[in-house]
Amino acid sequence: MSLVQTENLAKIYGSGETAVTALDRVNVKIDAGEFVAVMGPSGCGKSTLLHLIGGLDRPTSGKVCIENVSLGDLSDDKLTELRRRKIGFVFQFFNLIPVLDAVENAALPMMLDGAKAAQAKARAREWLTRVGLENRLHSRPDQLSGGQQQRVAIARALVAEPALVLADEPTGNLDTRAADEIAGLLRQVAEAWGRSVVMVTHDPRIAAYADRIVFLKDGTVVDETRLNSQNGNGAQVIRGKMNALAE
Amino acid sequence: MKIQLTLAARYLWGRKLRTFLTTLAIIFGVFVIFGMNILLPTMTHAFETSVLNASGQVDVLVTNKSGEAFAPSIMHRIESIPGVQALSGNLERTINIPANYYRSGSVGALSLIGIVPRDAQQVRDYTMQKGRFLQNTDTRAAIITSSLADTLKLELGDELSIPTVNGAVKLKIVGIRAAQTLPGNEPVWLTLNEAQKLLNAPNRINTIEIKLDTTDAAQRTAISNAIAATIGDEYQLGGLASGSEFMASLQTAQQIFNLMGFLALFMGGFIIFNTFRTIVAERRHDIGMLRAIGAGRRTIIGLFLFEGLLQGVVGTAIGMALGYGLGVLIVEGTRGIYQQFLHMQLGAPVIEPGLVLLTIVLGVGVTLLSGLVPAWNASRVTPMEALRPNVVTVETRRRLNKWTIVGIVLMVAALVGLLSQNISLVALGGFAFLVGLALLAPALVKPIAQVFGAMLGFIFARDGAAELAQGNLTRQPSRAAITASATMIGLAILVAAVGLISSITGGINTLLEKTLGSDYLLVPPSIGVWGSDVGADETLAERLRSVYGVSAVSTMRFATTTVGDQTINLLGIDPVEFPKVSGLNFSEGDPNTAFEQLAKGRGLILNGVGATTLKLHAGDAIKIPSPEGEQTYRVIAVASDVLNTKITSAYISQENLKRDFHKTEDVFMQLNLAPNANRAEVDARLQEIVARYPQFKLVSGAAYLNEMRSLYTTSFSAFYILLGILALPSLIAILNTLAIGVIERTREIGMLRAIGATRKQVRRTILAEAILLAAMGTAFGLLAGLYLGYVMTLGLNASGLYPLQYSFPYAGVVAAVALGLLFGVLAAILPARQAARMDIIQALRYE
Ligand SMILES: Nc1ncnc2c1ncn2[C@@H]1O[C@H](COP(=O)(O)OP(=O)(O)OP(=O)(O)O)[C@@H](O)[C@H]1O
Ligand SMILES: [Mg+2]
Repeated sequence: MSLVQTENLAKIYGSGETAVTALDRVNVKIDAGEFVAVMGPSGCGKSTLLHLIGGLDRPTSGKVCIENVSLGDLSDDKLTELRRRKIGFVFQFFNLIPVLDAVENAALPMMLDGAKAAQAKARAREWLTRVGLENRLHSRPDQLSGGQQQRVAIARALVAEPALVLADEPTGNLDTRAADEIAGLLRQVAEAWGRSVVMVTHDPRIAAYADRIVFLKDGTVVDETRLNSQNGNGAQVIRGKMNALAE
Repeated sequence: MKIQLTLAARYLWGRKLRTFLTTLAIIFGVFVIFGMNILLPTMTHAFETSVLNASGQVDVLVTNKSGEAFAPSIMHRIESIPGVQALSGNLERTINIPANYYRSGSVGALSLIGIVPRDAQQVRDYTMQKGRFLQNTDTRAAIITSSLADTLKLELGDELSIPTVNGAVKLKIVGIRAAQTLPGNEPVWLTLNEAQKLLNAPNRINTIEIKLDTTDAAQRTAISNAIAATIGDEYQLGGLASGSEFMASLQTAQQIFNLMGFLALFMGGFIIFNTFRTIVAERRHDIGMLRAIGAGRRTIIGLFLFEGLLQGVVGTAIGMALGYGLGVLIVEGTRGIYQQFLHMQLGAPVIEPGLVLLTIVLGVGVTLLSGLVPAWNASRVTPMEALRPNVVTVETRRRLNKWTIVGIVLMVAALVGLLSQNISLVALGGFAFLVGLALLAPALVKPIAQVFGAMLGFIFARDGAAELAQGNLTRQPSRAAITASATMIGLAILVAAVGLISSITGGINTLLEKTLGSDYLLVPPSIGVWGSDVGADETLAERLRSVYGVSAVSTMRFATTTVGDQTINLLGIDPVEFPKVSGLNFSEGDPNTAFEQLAKGRGLILNGVGATTLKLHAGDAIKIPSPEGEQTYRVIAVASDVLNTKITSAYISQENLKRDFHKTEDVFMQLNLAPNANRAEVDARLQEIVARYPQFKLVSGAAYLNEMRSLYTTSFSAFYILLGILALPSLIAILNTLAIGVIERTREIGMLRAIGATRKQVRRTILAEAILLAAMGTAFGLLAGLYLGYVMTLGLNASGLYPLQYSFPYAGVVAAVALGLLFGVLAAILPARQAARMDIIQALRYE
């Protein structure tokens, strides 16, 4: 049974002449513990897909089910609660609250869920240690590098032990080494900690960390590729696919 | 809960300067309200203590409800009540002593107490320090205290001169008592007979002191109740409150201060609202992110309300502390004045629990309320907004959106209301006008910014500062409009008040000429607080009339009465003589027949304050208590004179005053000369007559008019200063929004600097923006202020409180323009510096 399932998911921005079809009848499934990368040219609807899956935005038609619950049937409060408990987000920019330090930022989802501050912070410390930030626990975002901020965001995404982690270009503004660290971390999230991860990226090298790649073009899924040790170097395979799709 | 509080505190702390500036507005409002409201209770308390002291020394005191003297016959009824051991009917009266009356020392007022020696001694203990007690047969004899003797350097056997209705009279000091320990006027005891003669109250008393035959509390209450039942409705247990007229004007003053406090708080609320709106815009990202990771709408609302709450609590606490300081300072500062002129001892500042509660509710409540709408807006921020890069949004509004149209409609309605001349429509129009202007403001920002921007372009060299500033304003017209509105409100209040005051001054000048237009005036020491002025009996007026060359003499007599809680000054005039030398400004009723009607039956002309507080109109009837029982008077007209505008007063005929209140004492006179009179000769003759009545000062009408004019000018200039203080919050508002504007654009300014803008250019941009904003606010403020001033003038005129003539506040307009621009520049200094000094790297990293 899959954790996430979309049915003919469509999103149209605007109306009339200026209408933009960002997603057009997308059907994807994501299994528990699976690491999926979403790729495609700029403007093809990757972020839109992620937002709809995460319940941040409402689709124009079709639906998203998480654990067989259709998000469209939920009230704003219920949806918020679901995001809090089931989903962790890592955004490309501005992940953190500037006035809170690393621990407080990472503890936020649990605090928002009404957990005791001490408990939430202990868990946040644990996750920050796992993502390698044990020395920067009490730094504020403006005292952290971009990569470190991203890692705090990952710790925050994981602290409430969600079933699903959604990351939109988490390595977009990081150098190669930092990007590899983050991608490795997400791989670990899926592999060792059993969470499903959906990651948007442009970088074939980063996408190669995933189990499966979903290719989008003009709002529709044009290809899906499962990576495994049999079909060799993942990055190479992905580049090949991308070139094929570009034609 | 906890996380919201943490976040709120962190955000506030993270922007200390802004938090401080925003809170300042709340502090200011609370400061004014709390400080000013400490004063009145403190003064009331002193007043009550002095009344209490006066009555506290005997078991029971009985007085007439009207406050006036009455026939002693009621004593017989009290005498026969079981438990009453002894009683003494006295005639007591505070008499104002003119300045420099005594050469040997200064005394502001004395308390004359006429007693029947034998009765009095049975009620109280009159131990003498020197000399003897009074005897029934004493005539010009008095007992004084040793403290008064010391002040005036008098010995036993010396003579004490006092002003009386018969002129100055010398009393021989037959006894001296120990210095009085309680605050209040120095008492002078004399026989009741003599007091009745000197005060022109034959066979009248005004207090009955009663001694009971038991000390048992329960029994005493029972006896008091029996007394209360016997004396009926027209009398009361308890002392006479001298100075209640003064308390009334104190109350008016407090109301004015309260109004100012509320306005300041309103401004504070506006500033908070403004700031919160900006904060929400600035934190869209954070909010969206919080929403994305699972913060509910209520959590977001809570976060902002906590921020409001924290600021409200801190601001209120500081404001109250400062307000208390102000209260103490004023109490201490006026202690001497109070003692000297009102003979009351001010105690420590009194803080009523109700006031504390009210202030807290107001201070915190206004902050919370102002934060409510922005908080709600914040809760509507979608998680999606966290995911878009932070670009200061450029507002794209259509030229005519629905609010603009509503604004235009409201303003048109306001103008229609104004033209209708109907007072309630005009008042409603005033409100519509302000709201309409505020709604219209965003649409006006662009054209106004262009006009002023072009003007600024000439002032600043063409380095782009003016253009950039203009661009900054026009891309977010609603924010600019809100800031400009803050200035607008501040200046509108200023201009409106100046308009109102200049109209009042104009009105008062006319009134002064009307009421004080006579050739000569005889004025007592205290104008308006007539109760403690000793007047003259009819002989003085007769003497003055007999002077060759005097064509008319009008006298004014005085009594008080109390309807409900409201003390009313009854002014007795001669319906025939009064209009010859003086006049009233009528707002209701027929001026031509009013005085004639006054002569017929029981009728009165009520002044504006009276008509407003008692809610009466011409033609209504009013029941007023008098020593002769309750009387029904008909309201003939509503009209005011200049001396009694502030206190509830009514004019009745001297005939009625004599019949119902037994008062025939003239406390104020006005004289006119015949056209062909020899001024010098008449003057000399009048001086000679008046010299025998030292309580009066003979002044020429013209001289007195000038004196009064300058008095009004002075008191109004004090009002202007207060207005200036009120305009202060609008300075805070501009400063605030500008500072916020700089904070908000930190990254942008950093970028400007990075691509080569010099510090000077950045500073100039901010300065130009501030001046633009201020100019806009000033323009709005002038418009709104002129309108409001006009509306308030019409309103006050209709209420009859003050007679007014609308006069255009040229001075106010000039002051507002100067202040508006000055504020703009002042407000820009801090943010401009901050922007210019900004570290480029820091600015670019700023989140
Ligand atoms: N709020 C919006 N209003 C209108 N159109 C939008 C909006 N958000 C996205 N779009 C449009 O929808 C399409 C898909 O956008 P989306 O952000 O999902 O693309 P993307 O694949 O994430 O691109 P990128 O790789 O550049 O981030 C684009 O054509 C975009 O212009
Ligand atoms: Mg995207």
